[in-house]
Amino acid sequence: MNAYSKNKVLLSAENIHLQYGEKKILRDVNFKIHDIVREGVHQGQVVALIGRSGIGKTQLFKTLSGLIQPTEGTVRIGEDQHPVKAGQVGIVPQNYILFNHRTIYRNLKIGLDNADVKLTEEEKKRIIEDYAQTFELTEHLNKYPAQLSGGQRQRVSIIQQVLTGNKFILLDEPFSGLDILMVDKVIQLLLKVSTLSEHNTLIIVSHDIENATAVADTVWILGNEDGKAGATIKKEYDLCELGLAWQPEIRADRKFVELISEIKKQL
Amino acid sequence: MNKLKAIFEPLRMLDKRTMTILLVAEAALALLVWQLSGGGLIPTPDKVLKAIGTIFTMPDFIDNLFASITLTVKGMLISIVIALIISYLSIVPFFQPIARFVIKCRYLTLTGLIFLFTLLTQNGGQLKLSLLIFGIVPFFVTTLLGVIADINKQEFELCTTLRMNSWQSLWEVIIVGRLDQVFEVMRQNFAIAWLMITSVEGLSMSQGGLGVMLIKANKYVQLDIVFGTLVIIFALGIFFDFILGLFRHWLFPYTKLHTR
Repeated sequence: MNAYSKNKVLLSAENIHLQYGEKKILRDVNFKIHDIVREGVHQGQVVALIGRSGIGKTQLFKTLSGLIQPTEGTVRIGEDQHPVKAGQVGIVPQNYILFNHRTIYRNLKIGLDNADVKLTEEEKKRIIEDYAQTFELTEHLNKYPAQLSGGQRQRVSIIQQVLTGNKFILLDEPFSGLDILMVDKVIQLLLKVSTLSEHNTLIIVSHDIENATAVADTVWILGNEDGKAGATIKKEYDLCELGLAWQPEIRADRKFVELISEIKKQL
Repeated sequence: MNKLKAIFEPLRMLDKRTMTILLVAEAALALLVWQLSGGGLIPTPDKVLKAIGTIFTMPDFIDNLFASITLTVKGMLISIVIALIISYLSIVPFFQPIARFVIKCRYLTLTGLIFLFTLLTQNGGQLKLSLLIFGIVPFFVTTLLGVIADINKQEFELCTTLRMNSWQSLWEVIIVGRLDQVFEVMRQNFAIAWLMITSVEGLSMSQGGLGVMLIKANKYVQLDIVFGTLVIIFALGIFFDFILGLFRHWLFPYTKLHTR
């Protein structure tokens, strides 16, 4: 069930430092995300970035997306490992920002309008309708964002980024403020998006340890080390190696429960 | 008793029916107080009502009304174009000082500039129009820049992640995305224009207008005509405001919706 291999590097950070004036936010952040290959599945990558509030998660998030230039270091993406540029990594912010003056259909269409592949209007319509059906949004296509619930807006926000052609999508606190049933739905949604394409890579920034870990194949702990200013990735857990990835009922597993309590201690 | 208490309670939301009753009752009370306390210098409501009837029968009333409306609409349209150009250009750093100067022009008095505008324009109509525009544009630009400043930075980040360049982001977020707010600003500024119209009309009386009617009635101490004209100006202002409000909801249906 869990037979897999890790191939080429898809996203990497080398010696990332971020400083505002005298204040050091990030220090010596290094990581590599490899393409995970599993037979019979378009297995994408899901990384959970866990850390306490105010530790610098959002700053790292923006650095990875190219919206902020680090003081030192480089973020590289793709099989050719080119330095990231703003627009090559999608972002789904916590408050699911959408264009309020556009209907849901037109919000999704803007993703396709700016995609690498040029499509006809008819092709765009068909693709949007397909995604809307997969993600239960068909009846909302002619509505405005203000008419949708938080969960529906979140789905639109994610699909918008997928349609742009972004293989790398960063999600800021996707479980925030959701009830337990909605959290399960979001986990299903994230798993669905991650398996849409082999190279799809989701980075979930969250302080909800249990849910973020349940959906991830890798967990990074962002925190401060004693006597050193600035947050760094203190610890990386490879959940594939631990046999804890891609299992829907993982929360009940004893090893998973132990891992969660270990992660808590790291924070 | 509880309802009576509720209308004096801070932050209390009243239902539509109670609010309408309150509005009508207060208006009736105000009219009653006006009627009972009037009769001296201020004409009573019944006299004002009679004066409105007289104004409607005046042969030049329709001409004056149209002169005022035409001047206001013309002034508004030109002001909108100028203010939008200044506001949108303010996003380009080179034009920022110009926009900042324009908003400071709110503190320049029009009276002091009449002589300059008289020299610069060719006739009374142009003089009135230019003063009206000069009066409106700084307020219009101030509000528009406020709208732009209030835009959530995340909207621009969304544009970036959707691979839009800065011109596309400008179009999507600031121009199209805020068109409803521009319309609302225009609605608010229409009130300023309507307020100013009577002042500027006095500068060139040959072309008529409600302002000219006011000046003439004041000159001959026809206070009932003055108040009657004021009521007409007030009612028309409220009517235009209502029409523009309806138009806004029709053009931008999403403005009526609230985030769930």
